[in-house]
Amino acid sequence: MSERVSVPIEMVQSWRYSSGDSMERFSNGIRHKRIEAVKCGNCQRRYLPPRPVCGNCHLSLTEWVPVSDVGTLEAWTVVYLPFLDGRTGELRDGPYGMGLIRLDGSDTTLNHFLNQNDPAKLAVGMRMRIVWRDELHGAMDDILHFEEVS
Amino acid sequence: MRPVAIIGTGQTNHARCRDDVSQPELVREAASRALDDAGLQPADVDAVILSNMELFEGRALPELWVGEGAFANGKPCMKIATGGTSGTSSCIAGFHQAASGLFDIVLVVGFEKHSEGHTQTGMALTDPFWDRAVASGALGNFALSISQYMAERGVSEEQAARVAVKSRRNAARNPHAHLSDANATIEDVLNSRLLAYPIHLMDMCPQSDGAAAIVVASGDKARKLSAKPAWVKAAATRHEQPYIGDIEQRLLTMRTLRDASRSAYATAGITEPLKQLDLAEIYEPVTYAELAWYEILGFCAEGEAGHLIEAGVTGIDGELPVNPSGGVLSANPVGATGVIRVAEAAAQILGRAGAHQIEGAKTALATGYGVYAWADAVILGSAV
Amino acid sequence: MIREEAIKIPFQYAAGTAGSEFLINLRDHRQLTGSRCSDCERTLAPARAYCPDCGREGLHSVNIGPGAELVSWTIVPDKGVFALVRPDGADTAMLHKLLGPIDDPQPGIRLQVVFREERSGHINDIEGFAIVQENGE
Ligand SMILES: [Zn+2]
Ligand SMILES: [Zn+2]
Repeated sequence: MSERVSVPIEMVQSWRYSSGDSMERFSNGIRHKRIEAVKCGNCQRRYLPPRPVCGNCHLSLTEWVPVSDVGTLEAWTVVYLPFLDGRTGELRDGPYGMGLIRLDGSDTTLNHFLNQNDPAKLAVGMRMRIVWRDELHGAMDDILHFEEVS
Repeated sequence: MRPVAIIGTGQTNHARCRDDVSQPELVREAASRALDDAGLQPADVDAVILSNMELFEGRALPELWVGEGAFANGKPCMKIATGGTSGTSSCIAGFHQAASGLFDIVLVVGFEKHSEGHTQTGMALTDPFWDRAVASGALGNFALSISQYMAERGVSEEQAARVAVKSRRNAARNPHAHLSDANATIEDVLNSRLLAYPIHLMDMCPQSDGAAAIVVASGDKARKLSAKPAWVKAAATRHEQPYIGDIEQRLLTMRTLRDASRSAYATAGITEPLKQLDLAEIYEPVTYAELAWYEILGFCAEGEAGHLIEAGVTGIDGELPVNPSGGVLSANPVGATGVIRVAEAAAQILGRAGAHQIEGAKTALATGYGVYAWADAVILGSAV
Repeated sequence: MIREEAIKIPFQYAAGTAGSEFLINLRDHRQLTGSRCSDCERTLAPARAYCPDCGREGLHSVNIGPGAELVSWTIVPDKGVFALVRPDGADTAMLHKLLGPIDDPQPGIRLQVVFREERSGHINDIEGFAIVQENGE
């Protein structure tokens, strides 16, 4: 094969996102450690993240219900491969625990970090609690991680 | 709607890095091979559909840059993007275009050049308000779901490893495969690097550079142009809610794939998939997903997938060979991956699958998978 | 509520067969390269692997330029003057920079490619296209 040329390009991409009303209310709530879901009046499903429409019934969601900071671990993993943080482009070093947690009062699960990264100490069905960051600013990283309820 | 068939397929030689060619040249490699396989000239193509994940290569309007590689200049051309299902969705759109009477010959081409961009970035750009801070890509998504599947169905790491062994050994018969190893063993898989518990490197699909194409023809044209067309018996697609946490039990139930396959089976008159299908080319992004799909696609009862792989039922000489090509675990240029599934299923019916040909294949299933949010099912047959 | 983020993403694009030949000829020979389709009797600039019109592969490479003709132009504030230029011997135009001084350039005026001293096999090995002065003829 004759010589081939490749061109390297580094792009800086910036974004500006609008949350919409329901996510704004949710974000203002977690600034005060208050978690709220929206509930569909038809199928009764309680949604996190809150959103304007029930995807199953296609009806508007207007009823807010309180959600606990304690829930059940539905699924988990420990990530060993360093993974890129989509907010910054920086690598997040492993190993770190991740879980899907069904908070009491919600019918959907929330994915977040776990403070445990030993697979031998994680199991589906464990009860987990939110550990809040000291400084709250109304974003999902106000949740530092989840820890097992002792 | 009129009957339609696939009369030609073409694939590039998939690899980790195809920097010997540009994106449009890669597309051309697959498109030319598909036209040659169908015995057609560029002028015979009425319309072109392209499939690609645009965020991965960071290039605006990828269909513009590669379109002429797919002979699209001066013709109707569009791109379809539905995540990992983009390829199967594009094939289905091609079937619809030909079936509707809009066009007689539709060329469908999927491509991806992971080596040119940054796949992790593409996968990490999830909902900025909800889960971008924690998102860990396809790997994290699968790994999360697997713990639940293992706990519920008792699948073992060794059973999952058997899927990778089957894939790499089958791929050794496929000249287009990116990864192959005729001597792969369960130990190789279990000893490969742990990426995210319980997924080892060899459990996970690679990132490949590659393209794949099919030529779709209306029934009349197909009869004239091909001695043995691969007829489209059924094609179905399903969409799902957006967040991984919205989806009930994920791998355990996979509502999208279950509904799409049930719909396709009903249209094609398939009541016993294990007996009636001669082979399946399914979109298995990770070994555990292949096992879960066996149950969801009705190849076995819930909880029986581990035994199915152990008994060799889905091996290349088994009752229902699954992924005789080596599957997604052996080549994964994402925008092309769904097209590869359909192209491989079609090549089997056309009798042109080479060293991994299943003798006398008459009915084949191809599926697509796009995170949990999409699933496609396509059934091809040797008779209209 | 508004959320702003910025992320750095690296890319590495392969120029491919014809693209590499074009870039290497810039770097090593200060030469523009086009591709000739003998069926369509058209020469495409820059070089490419196949004819966009008839689909034919295996086009043969031909030297084009260094002279060129201005097809159209625009001024991008703070960035310069960008132009579509048709190198001599080619039937299509390429996008590049027009080098000053520029005083109301008209389509059809004569240009000449200008190469940089330091070249790496990149489209910017071409500094731009300069207007050919008529020298009072
Ligand atoms: Zn509802
Ligand atoms: Zn031509």
